[in-house]
Amino acid sequence: MRRIWQSIRSNSMAMAGLIITSLFLLSIVLGPILIPHSLTATAYDRILEAPSLAHPFGTDSYGRDVLVRVLYGARISLGISITGVTLAAVLGTLIGMAAGYIGRFYDSAPMRVMDLLFAFPAFVLALFLMVILGFGVANVALAIALVYVPIFARLARNMTVTIKSEPYVQAARLQGQSTIRLLCRELLPNISAPLLVQAGVGIAFGVIIESGLSFLGLGVQPPTPSLGVIMADGQEYFRRAPWVLTLTGLFVSAGLLGINLLGDGFRDLADPRLRKRTS
Amino acid sequence: MKILQYILLRVSGVLLTTLVGAAVVFFAMQAMPGDPALSALGEHASPEAIARFRAEHHLDAPLAQQFLHWLWGIMSADLGQSMTLASDVPISHLLVARIPNTVFIGIYAILLALMLAMTMGTIAAIKHGKAPDTIATSFAVLGVSMPDFWLGFVLILVFALTLGLFPAYGFESPLVSFAGALHSGFLPALAVAAPMAAVFARTLRSALLENMRKDYVTVARSFGFSRSFVFWNYIFRNSIIAFVVIVGLQVRYLLGGVVVIERVFGIPGIGSLMVDAAFARDYAVVQACAIVFLVTVLVVNLVVDIVCALLDPKRTR
Repeated sequence: MRRIWQSIRSNSMAMAGLIITSLFLLSIVLGPILIPHSLTATAYDRILEAPSLAHPFGTDSYGRDVLVRVLYGARISLGISITGVTLAAVLGTLIGMAAGYIGRFYDSAPMRVMDLLFAFPAFVLALFLMVILGFGVANVALAIALVYVPIFARLARNMTVTIKSEPYVQAARLQGQSTIRLLCRELLPNISAPLLVQAGVGIAFGVIIESGLSFLGLGVQPPTPSLGVIMADGQEYFRRAPWVLTLTGLFVSAGLLGINLLGDGFRDLADPRLRKRTS
Repeated sequence: MKILQYILLRVSGVLLTTLVGAAVVFFAMQAMPGDPALSALGEHASPEAIARFRAEHHLDAPLAQQFLHWLWGIMSADLGQSMTLASDVPISHLLVARIPNTVFIGIYAILLALMLAMTMGTIAAIKHGKAPDTIATSFAVLGVSMPDFWLGFVLILVFALTLGLFPAYGFESPLVSFAGALHSGFLPALAVAAPMAAVFARTLRSALLENMRKDYVTVARSFGFSRSFVFWNYIFRNSIIAFVVIVGLQVRYLLGGVVVIERVFGIPGIGSLMVDAAFARDYAVVQACAIVFLVTVLVVNLVVDIVCALLDPKRTR
């Protein structure tokens, strides 16, 4: 823990990432509580107002405060992305570790399936799944999971293959430890750091997938205010009130920038080649 | 000889993956609830009309037979007819009309991304640890943090609506006017290129930095070669392979970005066709578009692998 903190402190980019991410999370947790505007109450005398002190992001076509909707929408989008990436991380790690540890047929068969998923453009794969399953919050999370399963599976497999011939794993096996115990106690802790970094970066890209799908109208459906839904709204009156779409996107980009910077910092930490270089 | 063997092996792999991918797409679409005849003809269609529609589209045959029929159709460039999107128009016609636009935007975006990345990555590596490096690296992280369609709208707001330099909406086909396509396609290509340029620049920067530390650089310098000669002829050349590999990997994301951007800028391409078909529940068209995307990714990766094999023959072993 101390090592993580020290390395973040010595890396100004990671520090910036930590600060931005904390502010981002703090704002979406506290924001909707502190801001006096309602999420749903319409006010037809205040339609499409430009940003002001009372409404920093302006108002939308129903006169609702955009900032409150964005903060609330970020909760929904982040929730969807975290659900999808967690699902993918668990499933992908299981598949990858099994493939890497058992090997032979159990290696080639599932990994070829992963290769196939990898051959579709990420967004097209998500879109295709939405057409089959239908639109909605849960299915967007599933689509994000489908995009990320092959990535986690490959990562987990490759690291398992490298690590399984290490002396300490061999020693544990000779002690007569069961395969499950061996995978959980010896292998998983040693491959978890890069997987966690991948998950962090994945959550950022998951938010982009969600907002893209919902923006096209193929993801989360209104009135649920996800970030994509709010931006799709903003697109409709983009020429009259460009701030709705512009400021929403700016908020999303800032938040994801923080997550990505932090992820980069952790990646440096998890990469032993880079660690040696700094010490 | 070894390279030829390698190419043959990779080509057969691509064919096999396409076949399996086509099967997955086909059977996934069949598993979907709802009757395509009902969604095409409406809830109140007469039983005779439904029977006729089902016979026309071979919907009553066993699944395996339908699949073989469809697969045979793909081989002979007959993808069947659009059901709801454009009634009874052959899907191949829809695709042929739109593929040039998507290919144009895709290549345009890659070229822009390469130019941006080469400049940013090289400057960042040369000025390692100084202000230009920090700026280039920050831009690179920012590039992957922005939703691409949002960047598209920001570009429209600045360069089209405020400065009036480019059209805000619509696209001139490269087959009609190449200059017009270059002009009207600039903003969409830039929106697709930005996240890619970010990834490319980071890859190039770290590859350059790694090669700068190699012993051969010191040796070359001790021979009296100038700093810039060594950089361009040794370091840059050796860093290019990592760069080519990442271009292949990024095609997955590039094509995904194109889907959304085509909708933002109103470009009639494969991506917007797929989205329109998804809304119209025209499953045959969605299916066809998915196959086109699959084949594109596989073929680009094949080309990248072959280029890498030619650049670095060790890879074929």
